[in-house]
Amino acid sequence: MVSPSDRPAAGLLTAAGRRALDGLLTAWAAVSVTFFALRLAGGDPVASLLAQGLASSEQADALRHQLGLDLPLLQQYLRFLGGLLRGDLGRSLYTGQPVTRIIGQQIPYTAQLAAAGLFVALALGLVLGLLAAGEDRGRRFPLASGLAGIATALPVAFTGILAILAATRLGQVSVSDPATLRSLGLPALVLGFASAGAVARLMQAGMQETLAAPFMLAARARGLRRGPRLLWHALRPALPPVVSLIAIEAAFLFGGTVVTETVFSRPGLGRLLVGSILQGDFPVAQGLVVLSALVYTLSHVAADTLGLILDPRLRRTE
Amino acid sequence: MIRRALAVASVAWLVLISLGALLAPLLSGTDPIQPVGPPLAAPSAGFGLGTDALGRDLLTRMLFGARFSLASGLLAASLAVGIGGVAGLAAAMHGGWIERAIVWAANAMLAIPGLLLALMLLTAMGPGVTTIVLAVGLGGAPGFARLARAAFLAARQSDFVRASHALGAGPRWVALRHVVPNAGTALLSLATTQFAWAFLGTTTLTFLGLAGNPSLPEWGAMLNEGRLHLIDAPHLALWPGAAITLTILSVQLLGNWITRRQAGADARRAAAQIGS
Repeated sequence: MVSPSDRPAAGLLTAAGRRALDGLLTAWAAVSVTFFALRLAGGDPVASLLAQGLASSEQADALRHQLGLDLPLLQQYLRFLGGLLRGDLGRSLYTGQPVTRIIGQQIPYTAQLAAAGLFVALALGLVLGLLAAGEDRGRRFPLASGLAGIATALPVAFTGILAILAATRLGQVSVSDPATLRSLGLPALVLGFASAGAVARLMQAGMQETLAAPFMLAARARGLRRGPRLLWHALRPALPPVVSLIAIEAAFLFGGTVVTETVFSRPGLGRLLVGSILQGDFPVAQGLVVLSALVYTLSHVAADTLGLILDPRLRRTE
Repeated sequence: MIRRALAVASVAWLVLISLGALLAPLLSGTDPIQPVGPPLAAPSAGFGLGTDALGRDLLTRMLFGARFSLASGLLAASLAVGIGGVAGLAAAMHGGWIERAIVWAANAMLAIPGLLLALMLLTAMGPGVTTIVLAVGLGGAPGFARLARAAFLAARQSDFVRASHALGAGPRWVALRHVVPNAGTALLSLATTQFAWAFLGTTTLTFLGLAGNPSLPEWGAMLNEGRLHLIDAPHLALWPGAAITLTILSVQLLGNWITRRQAGADARRAAAQIGS
């Protein structure tokens, strides 16, 4: 951690490059944490196969050897990193398929859901946040901030069930019809609503801060009209925190997809993860955690870079 | 006015479920795990909220569920606050390589979002209620450590801490006498948020069926069970779902109220000091 210094403003590329390097280090750290946590706390992943009677003890020994579990920890770690660089995450204990292929098959479902959810979260969050901020206190909408608060408190599991219940009561869909339920609309709405609250709150806080800033008064004094004043002067500086929140939310959305996919019985990475944990399919679960750590750090770097573009002041301090 | 009413309502709800959890065996004469009536019975005098798919009394299960849900949320949050708080204090007070090591470790763990960190630990330790509590507690610790460090640092940089240093006070005295109490309120509201998070986390994991014991009376697990009877008996899902939501909402409202009150008190104290 470098403390804020009087370093002169760095160029956009330098600042972005530094973030990228930082992200790479974080990704490596996260992957290592995953590996060691799983090995040190996990005990023997083959034991669950033995306990379920799915493998004889000779088969288990052979499997341990094949997975490299009989090697010293450090050597296992190097093997794991080497495999990761080659895009090899091992094979499922149950089906024997490569983990990358198993995960690859599920990615489109989750990516669709997460993208649609993110869109709902942003659209709903920005509208609610702007309504809640208002330019002066008299015009604030308590309903908007109330709704934002409720959105953060409602568990995805419950909103999902409420949505299904409402949809079946309204006669739009029936639970017995998987085609409509698995369609994207309802799950995306449920998933997006959960994140919309956080987006709205941050938007509101950011807008209130910038609305009170001296440059807003200056803009007013220069005779700028309300529309441009709000959109250009107040909204733009309020966006970087929202953008970095989106990076966090992107990861949260992944957590949310775990629940959403379960509620709506959709296929996807989240269901795969829960299933592999329940089964004790260790390489698949490990691969999923590694993947999400990589996606998470990547989205952070992207968000930081976007923030640097939006607000030049951020380029100065580390 | 509305804020005050909401805070009172939140406290009332939290007191109600705490009492329900503590007095569950006294309030209900039936067993939460054994069937006591016909399956999916409507609410009646005998069964206040009706029965579930196996004929177990829903009210009894809700009361015992409060026990499991609140206790696991509280334990997980305490774990996160305990570990994170100590790490944050050590980082803020020591500085140097200790601070760098703690911040680096927290950031590395935060590279995996909390729920995923919990799921990762569950992968390692296998499904189960104890594992869920441990996983959610450890999963929340790095985030709390970072927030706690910030709160402690803010308190450390205040004028009275500098004055105390200048008067020759030792580091331990400064930490315990000045920094911890002055970061206290900030930490209290952080801790309430942490509880809301931990409660959501544990109920989410049990909802996903990771408790390993399907008959467990626990709100998250009950919500999951109720999902299968949405058409014929929606109340099976609605009661536990509403209870979870109300609890999280109450804790959040309470946290906001504490923060706001403290901000008001700080402002009054500052005004008094200027006036004197």
